[in-house]
This record gives sequence, C-alpha cells and structure tokens, in this order.
Amino acid sequence: MNAVGIFKELGIEYEEMKVKGNKDPRYRAKVDPEKLEDIILKFKNNGFRHFVALSCVDWIKEGNMELIYHLFSYDNLEDVFLSIYLPRDQPKYKSLRHLFPQIETYEREIHEMFGVEFEGNDRLGEFILEDWEDMPPMRKDFDTEKYAKEKYGSVPLVEEGGEKE
Amino acid sequence: MTPENPNPLPSIIPEKDWKKIQRMLSKRSLWMVHFCTGCGAMEMPPTMTSRYDMERFGIIPMATPRQADLLLVTGYVAVKTLKRIVRVYEQMQDPKYVIAFGSCPINGGIYWDSYNTIKRLDKYIPVDMYIAGCMPRPEAIMDAFLKLMKDIDEGRADGWLRYKKYYEKYKANQRRVFKRWDE
Repeated sequence: MNAVGIFKELGIEYEEMKVKGNKDPRYRAKVDPEKLEDIILKFKNNGFRHFVALSCVDWIKEGNMELIYHLFSYDNLEDVFLSIYLPRDQPKYKSLRHLFPQIETYEREIHEMFGVEFEGNDRLGEFILEDWEDMPPMRKDFDTEKYAKEKYGSVPLVEEGGEKE
Repeated sequence: MTPENPNPLPSIIPEKDWKKIQRMLSKRSLWMVHFCTGCGAMEMPPTMTSRYDMERFGIIPMATPRQADLLLVTGYVAVKTLKRIVRVYEQMQDPKYVIAFGSCPINGGIYWDSYNTIKRLDKYIPVDMYIAGCMPRPEAIMDAFLKLMKDIDEGRADGWLRYKKYYEKYKANQRRVFKRWDE
C-alpha cells in the first residue's frame, strides 16, 4: 500500500511536499501524539520498513517542540514525515525504541541537545557532550556566542617566554 | 631546570656543545604521533606519501605516543578532543613538539562562536609552531616542518620546557573546560 492509501485509511490530513531536483513523492502529516505509535506500526507493516531519522525543531515563538519521525519505503520510494508537537516548557514523550531499535540513539541525542524527556528509554544520559552543565545547547534560547565568550574567552593566557635550554 | 647529570660525559666535549649535538640529531628524526583531529588530517596522506614525501626529512608517522616526539593538532579541537590531546601529549617523552594546524586552533576559525570547541590551543598546551590557513596545503606543512627543525636546532622550540615550568597554570586552564578525567 502506498502512503496516500494509508493516510486515507487512517483518516489523517496530509500535505504533499515538493523538493527541487527530487521527484520521489514525500508527504508530511501532523498527527496526535497519542496515536503516533499505532500510525508508525501501520506504516511499518505496509512497506515503510526504513526508519530514516528522528529530528526535533524548537518553535520558540509558538512555544512548541516538534518531533519529526521520518520513514521511507523501498517498495514505492516514498518519504513520510510524521510530526507531533509537545509543549516547550516540559517536553515529554514516550520512547518508541521497541518499534525500531535505532530510535534509541536519536532519542538520546534529542534528550541531550533539546532536553526532551522520553519515558521508557533508560539510556538517556551523557551522550556526545562531556561535562556539560548548562541548558541543552540546541534550544533557541541558548546564546551560543555569549556562552563561548564567557567560557573560552575568560581562560587566561599562560605566561609567554619560558626557560631556554 | 635540568637536574645534575650523575654520570657526566668525558670532558672532551663540553656540556653546552653536547646539547647542540643532541639537538642536531633530534631534529633529523622527528617521529609524528598518528593522532588526527578535525578535517586537517586529510592533508597528511599526500604529505606522507611519495608526492611530498616527508620521510626525506626523517619524519615518519608513529602509532604510539610514547615513541613519538611530534604532535600535530590537525583542525578544530572540541572539548572532548582536548581531553584526549592532553592525554596523548602527557604520554609523549621529552623533548616533544606541537604543531597546531589550520585556523581553528589559532582562534576558533569558523567555530569561533561554537559552544563546544576551544578557541586558542596554546591556553591549554604549549604550541611550538602554528600553520595558518584553511586548509594549509602540504607545501605549508613541509615549510612548517623545516622551520620547526630550524627552531629545534637553535633551541627555540621549548614548549615542553614551558609545560613543565607553568604546569600548574596549564592544568588550571584545562580544568576550567573539563571537569573529570575518569572517562
């Protein structure tokens, strides 16, 4: 079954996306966080066996965090983006690593970079950053220039010169 | 700084001249530790292999830090990488030399406002030679090697002595960017 068929069967609104230079069909849909697991399962059982990526967008003006689950079908060469919106101040969602094991790694990264909590994933913790004490750095309200200037600009120079042999 | 030699050499060669001979010998056998950070490592294969052939100056890549005396920092230095660089540097035996490679270890380069890269390498470990550019071509690397050899010969490449002298200061700077050594 192709993506349009699945969307119609589930009764989800979708929009078709156009990318310059790529004619493969790609669809985007905003879904209810409660129903996402069943929808991904439905897609998985209908040829969308490749989980491409899980990404996160910080919509600071709207006060939302968008999680985008990106699926691909090798049978029909179709891309599907399923996005859910979480409240920005307390982003929390359940882990979906039982559907595709690679989701675990993406969840760890998003937890570290955006501060999204995934219930049921026990490996959230220090992942790429080391000794990080500030807020998650990919959030839009994190001022990276100010942080860099304060943290690295304040380190003093070690005295020049030194002993000669 | 250097302690008294318990077994002094026969007085045929004075200590000062002997040091000169040591420097002359060590500059012709620089072994470079095979530790590549960032994108500049891409310029090393042509420098090592037959096109530019750094071996004609006695410089060969070496797999372990304990047998090497030249450390190349070939690109941007993340906080995580700095921890490894310091470890590798401290494992190397004296005398040891550091070449910082490209714009990033000088002032951050295109990562000037990044939250996770250090901006000036010589705040954390002593640097004997900088190669500017993004990326420096193998000709620039060869030029830096020759200049470093000249510096060693004239006793100006004294980064390892500075690291000993200002050890506490370097350590304090390193502790400002990373907290733990256990991982």
